[in-house]
Amino acid sequence: MIEVHKLTKRYGYHLAVDQISFEAHPGEVVGLLGPNGAGKTTTMRMLTGFMPPSEGSARIAGFDVLADSLEVRRRVGYLPERVPVYPDMTVKGYVTFWAKLRGVEKPRARVDAVLERVHLTDRRNTLVRNLSKGLRQRLGLAQALVHDPPIVILDEPTIGIDPQQVIEVREAVRDLGKHHTVLFSTHILSEAEQVCDRVVIINRGKIIAQGTPDTLRTQLQHGLSLYVEIAGAGKEAGAKLLKALTGVESVTAQGNGFVVRARTDVRGEVADRVTRAGYRLLELRPVAMTLEDIFLDLVGRGK
Amino acid sequence: MLRGTGTIFWREVGQYFASPVAYLIAFALLLLTGLLFNSDLTFSLTQKPADPALIPSFLALAMVFFAPLLTMRMLAEESREGTLELLLTAPVSDTAVVIGKFLSAWFYYTILLLLTFTYQFILLAITQPDLGLAVSAYIGIWLYGGATLAVGLLFSSLTENQIVAAFLSMSVLLLLWLGDIAGEIVANLDLARVLRQLSLGGHFSTSFAVGLLRAEDVAYYAGIMVVMLFITTRIVESHRWR
Repeated sequence: MIEVHKLTKRYGYHLAVDQISFEAHPGEVVGLLGPNGAGKTTTMRMLTGFMPPSEGSARIAGFDVLADSLEVRRRVGYLPERVPVYPDMTVKGYVTFWAKLRGVEKPRARVDAVLERVHLTDRRNTLVRNLSKGLRQRLGLAQALVHDPPIVILDEPTIGIDPQQVIEVREAVRDLGKHHTVLFSTHILSEAEQVCDRVVIINRGKIIAQGTPDTLRTQLQHGLSLYVEIAGAGKEAGAKLLKALTGVESVTAQGNGFVVRARTDVRGEVADRVTRAGYRLLELRPVAMTLEDIFLDLVGRGK
Repeated sequence: MLRGTGTIFWREVGQYFASPVAYLIAFALLLLTGLLFNSDLTFSLTQKPADPALIPSFLALAMVFFAPLLTMRMLAEESREGTLELLLTAPVSDTAVVIGKFLSAWFYYTILLLLTFTYQFILLAITQPDLGLAVSAYIGIWLYGGATLAVGLLFSSLTENQIVAAFLSMSVLLLLWLGDIAGEIVANLDLARVLRQLSLGGHFSTSFAVGLLRAEDVAYYAGIMVVMLFITTRIVESHRWR
């Protein structure tokens, strides 16, 4: 269980995290979604007991991160963004070290179990320096899970590894959510949608939206973007034609065509109007809303 | 013992025996002391009796250069590799991390020191050395080594760059060592005395190295270690505030 209440972190005059509040319950995967520099890592560092908050409070499994730091650290498994490794140790030695440091009762059995879980058993005697990036990521996960913590915090675990491994990591995270409270961060919207039970979107240190992926999607999809390419019409004529449609908010030229933003689904009207005007419709497809769009959208609406 | 100190200690000891640098240092140290011992033996044939404090006295200078090499990696690498973040989020105190690391460096140094006992055994076999002097010189250089390693560890915590850490600690140790000969460059006698009391060598060359065991010298080296480790812990802790 993670309870965050008005958590704030200030670096000098810079507000890295500004009064954020959210909760994560056992058996739940909560995603922190935001662009780089939004304050995701800072938030996680405060929750893991690495750095103290400037203001506000956070409780992990009922313990305050500041007052009971050691108790918190005992209960948290943490994988930082760049997997920290000791290159000269073997896989087994590395995981055993963290197991002992975190006071695991029977380190040997636990280490074997956790290596099995992340599929590194056959690499147990490999030096960490010889592991590929994907395998290092799994090693980092092993390190975070070796003391069987009730709370697992993963900072961008899918960054910089190949697509197959990304899928594996996402599955692993979802799997973790069955028994642990998982907080994980990402800047990829689709990933958050796939993996999380709840998403907390933060930007510039502030929470701008939170909820289940479904609620967020319906909240956000109040409009539609289309890419339209027309043969025969010039730039100006085409834009004028599209703008005249009801429901269209804006038309911007992009490449050989236009991006049309509309309040309602205008795909039929667009096709109709273009052909009736005697032009040929070459392309008509919805443009997926990127994270940037959503942020612009949310920030814009906040004003 | 603080929880976690032992785990950190054994990891670092393992690190020493896994790294070529530690073996190279041992090799260099044994080569230098071996050559020195050999020439001293030659002298002892004709000019003077063999000196059982010879090797410890040489180590007093050598540690100015070797101690930084033994400690430069310890915290600089953790900070560069990001493992410090994991250490600081593990349920152990910052003090346990620093002390575990320091003890492992001191432990490795003790092994190096034990290796030089070879020379004492050779002396025992061929002559009758002053054993009291040998014991006091070794106790002295053991404490002296601990103090230099504590200084080295402090500078390792200050930077992510091992070379910078080694260079800075060498410079500081050299200054501390040079204080011993302050009398030769400072005209004011009282000032020279103060400088000498502060210096690393001043508490060794005229006491332990001539067979004197004095509480003030032990207190000096212990004090250096405690102060350096305390500052190091604070610096490690400061990573949380950056």
